[in-house]
Amino acid sequence: MMDWSPIILTAKLALVTTMILLIVSIPLAYWLAYSKSRIKPVIETLVSMPLVLPPTVLGFYLLMTFSPGNAFGSWLQDWFGIRLIFSFSGLVIGSVIYSLPFMVNPIQSGLASLPTSLTEASYVLGKSKIKTLFSVLLPNIKPSLLTGIVLAFAHTVGEFGVVLMIGGNIPEKTKVISIAIYDEVEALNYSNAHTYSLILVIITFIVLLSVYLINGGYLKRFWR
Amino acid sequence: MIEAHIHKTLSTANGKMLLDIQLNIKKGQFVTLYGPSGAGKTSTLRILAGLLSADKGQIVVDDKVWLDSKKKINFSPQQRKIGYVFQDYALFPNMTVRRNLEFALEKGQDRSIIQELITIVELEELQDRKPETLSGGQQQRVALARALVRKPEVLLLDEPLSALDIKMRAKLQDYILKVHRQYGLTTILVSHDVGEIIKMSDEIYCLEAGKISKQGNPSAIFTNDRLSGKFQFTGEVIAIEQEEVVYIVTVLIGNNVVKIIAQESEITDLGIGDKVIVASKAFNPILLKIEK
Amino acid sequence: MNTFSGHISDIQVNESLSMVSVRINEQVELKTIVVETPETASYLKIENAVEVLFKETEVIISTEDTLSISIQNKIKATIKEVKKGVLLSKLLLNSEIGEMIAILATEVLDELMLAENQEVTAMIKVNEIMISR
Repeated sequence: MMDWSPIILTAKLALVTTMILLIVSIPLAYWLAYSKSRIKPVIETLVSMPLVLPPTVLGFYLLMTFSPGNAFGSWLQDWFGIRLIFSFSGLVIGSVIYSLPFMVNPIQSGLASLPTSLTEASYVLGKSKIKTLFSVLLPNIKPSLLTGIVLAFAHTVGEFGVVLMIGGNIPEKTKVISIAIYDEVEALNYSNAHTYSLILVIITFIVLLSVYLINGGYLKRFWR
Repeated sequence: MIEAHIHKTLSTANGKMLLDIQLNIKKGQFVTLYGPSGAGKTSTLRILAGLLSADKGQIVVDDKVWLDSKKKINFSPQQRKIGYVFQDYALFPNMTVRRNLEFALEKGQDRSIIQELITIVELEELQDRKPETLSGGQQQRVALARALVRKPEVLLLDEPLSALDIKMRAKLQDYILKVHRQYGLTTILVSHDVGEIIKMSDEIYCLEAGKISKQGNPSAIFTNDRLSGKFQFTGEVIAIEQEEVVYIVTVLIGNNVVKIIAQESEITDLGIGDKVIVASKAFNPILLKIEK
Repeated sequence: MNTFSGHISDIQVNESLSMVSVRINEQVELKTIVVETPETASYLKIENAVEVLFKETEVIISTEDTLSISIQNKIKATIKEVKKGVLLSKLLLNSEIGEMIAILATEVLDELMLAENQEVTAMIKVNEIMISR
């Protein structure tokens, strides 16, 4: 009998992560796109590190940080009663950090590609920075936003290393689809592993296809 | 009334240049900033708009201090209430023509200004279109109308017509003059086009390497009123050829090409691209009516 | 452009036209008609220093002592140099008022047998001369 809970858990994790990422990434990308600050290259590097770092490295440090055996982890547990390791919230935090560049980079390059005169025109029309961001800038980088959302979602769906390190393998709590596949293979349940894998392949295909369709302008007339 | 004294070190392709400009513009005047590219015309406009910060200086508009580096006063572009038309029009691609205008409305402002402006610049039929579907001239009209929604007293135009063909230019010049008079604006235009400047402006500031080199009435500056020849045009030299004992100089005047016989002494310091005055006595030209 | 300096010696005005006489030196006075009056052009004032300009191609050359001809400005000159072209030729003149250039058809040059050191009269119609201050 197929256990559907890993699929539901994965979808939930990806949705929550993507939503948080969107909220976090817009101001971050805005700052990166327009700031002339000296620490900008450092922040850019930090944001992009998950692109090259093995997920296990990230997972390992998150595990160390959040572990109740450490100062920060025990402080979290004592003061807020939050335990981030081996929990869903821990997974979300790990995923947000892990998928950050996939959301920030498209939005940042989208903002940077807009002519500065659009922002200036809005300012001389008396509009604030916030109003300009939401009424002028973001509506004109819809393809970048969509790319960011789709890539962040897809990347979260496919992650393994970070989840395994900080989430472990707790059914209905931290056992996401990629871990479930690993489990089924370990147990020699190839048919279940195959079903999970196929679902992942199909989701990934659909998601990436939609990105290319959108960025190639094929879907332009549908969502403008 | 605009009184401005601006200091700013600009970094240009040829190294650093000090922009040092003093403007004294009366209310309701139409003023042009003229000069070679890189002379600081656009920078001056941007500093007036608050889009670029001056190193030091003062800007006083109608007794309101917009900038005073000594008193640390520096109004943001939002606070200055100006109309600004950008060289690339800067229309918001996500909004229709009408929405572009409506976006500029201030909180609680009477919306009737939108319809009024749409009528003035004749955008009725285009109001539901997106900017990308419009021609350059149409986009420029939208940009002009949008700049006027807040009813600014100062209108800044950064080479707004440079990308348009001659016919379209003439039409837009008329629109600009129309709104300038109708709304009693004080207008500052950046332009390279001598004909355009003579047609539109009351006063011209010639900028060279960040400084004002000449200032005055445009026809006095461009046409030579020291010469009695009544048949005068300004044009640009496009070719110089030697023919036997004379030279033939080809000059572009507006969109017409004319040829002038010249002597060696007249062409010694003349090169391609130079601006020249072509003058003749009013007695020489003949008139031929063009049959319709 | 032939350019000479002088002083305005006389101005006759009728409506918007003026006939202006400019004294170049003791012997020579050049006359010009302009679409200006002392009201419209500040430089139109007796004794004002001005420059007179006329194109080389507008200079008419005669070898005889010019008699009945409808040209008011006549200047005695000696041909200093001849530059011969196929259709047009250039004469460098040493005139009563200084060096002057005249451009004329090469055919005419041959017909009149104009040569260096020859004495000629250079003539310019009143409507061909411009004034500049």
